[in-house]
Amino acid sequence: MTPVSWITLALIGGFVWGGFAFLLVRAIRAEGRKERRRERQS
Amino acid sequence: MKGELFSSRWGLVLATLGMAVGTGNIWRFPRIAASNGGGSFLVAWAVFLLLWSVPLMIVEFSFGKRSRLGTVGAFAKLAGRRWAWMGGWVALCATAIMCYYSVVSGWCLRYLALALQGRPGPDGAASAWEGFAGTAQALGPHLVAMSLATLVVWFGVRGIERVARVLIPTLFVLVLILVARALTLPGAERGLAFLFTPNWADLASPRIWLEALTQNAWDTGAGWGLILTYAIYMRVREDVPLNAFLIGFGNNSVSLLAGIMVLCTVFALNPAAHEEIVGAGNEGLTFVWMPQLFAAMPGGALFMVVFFLALSFAALTSLISMLELASRVLMDMGVGRRVAVLSVAGLGLAVGAPSALHMPFFQNQDWVWGVGLMLSGLFFALAAARFGLERLRREVVNGEGSDVRIGRWWVWVVGILVPLEAVVLMVWWLWQARSWDPEGWLHPLGVFTTGTVLAQWAVALLALVALNGWLVRRQHPSPGEEPTP
Repeated sequence: MTPVSWITLALIGGFVWGGFAFLLVRAIRAEGRKERRRERQS
Repeated sequence: MKGELFSSRWGLVLATLGMAVGTGNIWRFPRIAASNGGGSFLVAWAVFLLLWSVPLMIVEFSFGKRSRLGTVGAFAKLAGRRWAWMGGWVALCATAIMCYYSVVSGWCLRYLALALQGRPGPDGAASAWEGFAGTAQALGPHLVAMSLATLVVWFGVRGIERVARVLIPTLFVLVLILVARALTLPGAERGLAFLFTPNWADLASPRIWLEALTQNAWDTGAGWGLILTYAIYMRVREDVPLNAFLIGFGNNSVSLLAGIMVLCTVFALNPAAHEEIVGAGNEGLTFVWMPQLFAAMPGGALFMVVFFLALSFAALTSLISMLELASRVLMDMGVGRRVAVLSVAGLGLAVGAPSALHMPFFQNQDWVWGVGLMLSGLFFALAAARFGLERLRREVVNGEGSDVRIGRWWVWVVGILVPLEAVVLMVWWLWQARSWDPEGWLHPLGVFTTGTVLAQWAVALLALVALNGWLVRRQHPSPGEEPTP
């Protein structure tokens, strides 16, 4: 593995897996907010 | 609709991920990435995730959520009654794929059963495949795969959700186990280097970009109508854009892991044959080479079971979504769920049987309807434009329940870029088919000819356009008149 290969791995992996993890966390937090709102309304 | 909704966001997300993650992630992505420049291909592949897959997923989610109808009814309701045939094309394309995908799912189940018995061995892998594929032996697994999918879809969206809640997290774990095993093999770093070393000059090659776009069109499920079908069962205050991004990135995460798993295994165990292995085609890589590689791996018998279990889960969850799509279209015409599911399964078994028995028939159908998916993507973009992209963005994408706001970039991408990409892709694939058979490229009965694509498409499109009025009248509840501007 050359340094360029490691950088590509970090960039592509960061974009795809990091993006998925970021979106998952954001969805979990959004769902939590919606759940709390539903509880307050009920 | 009560009782026919996903119980939670996670039910929807897992079922849709199950639809998106299929055999294409595991057996096609590693080959295509390896044979198209590795790191440079990955850059183009990541770009088209944002310029094809996710924007079309947003369209599909919006159509399903807004119309609460299958592909035919959704197109009639949102694009106008005259355009129901486009939804019919989307349904036909996905159903044609379902017929032979059941055969593919059967292959995976058959090899899972073989792996559990410690077979096929390293010496008999090629002969085992040749003695199985395209013979009557492939009919039994085809029947088993379709029966399993039928059993799940029989119980409606709750059945789909329950199965997805078990199979998809398990699939992720299985893939991670295989990646961990592959990365710990001596010499695995050569596979990583092969996958991630970029050759920036490759980015100037149109072929890299077209292959990356094709991979996105085929393995994310965007533009197939399957996401639209699951979106029918979204809760009322469910998000559209964040879910679309989540599924697109989740799907490509599995692809990247599969790429690492396959290429590290290949380079660790048989580096001299890597060109032959990645050039062996989807079936050659999976059913001939992978058993040989597992046989050479410490603990390989166990990991071969894990591999074919993951592949079977990926295949079945996609097959389930295809069966649901066709059943939903019949249900919108007033047919009960159970009759619809049995009818579609019966049709799938009958039409899929020639693909099980005769490999050239399978290859022909894969070619014709694979390229047809690009036309489906184009139809989604055109239908969204008919409805009004800005209106769709304002009222549905950023409407009730939305967790993130989508900017005007999406209007431009779906309105201009996606149609352009679809047309360029179709022309490229049909044009390069000339070089595969320079003499008979227009022959309508060839396996991989341009003529066979155009002939089968023409028959399908003429029939759908002729049946347009009937399709609209049979919708239950009937979609409204032309959308108001």
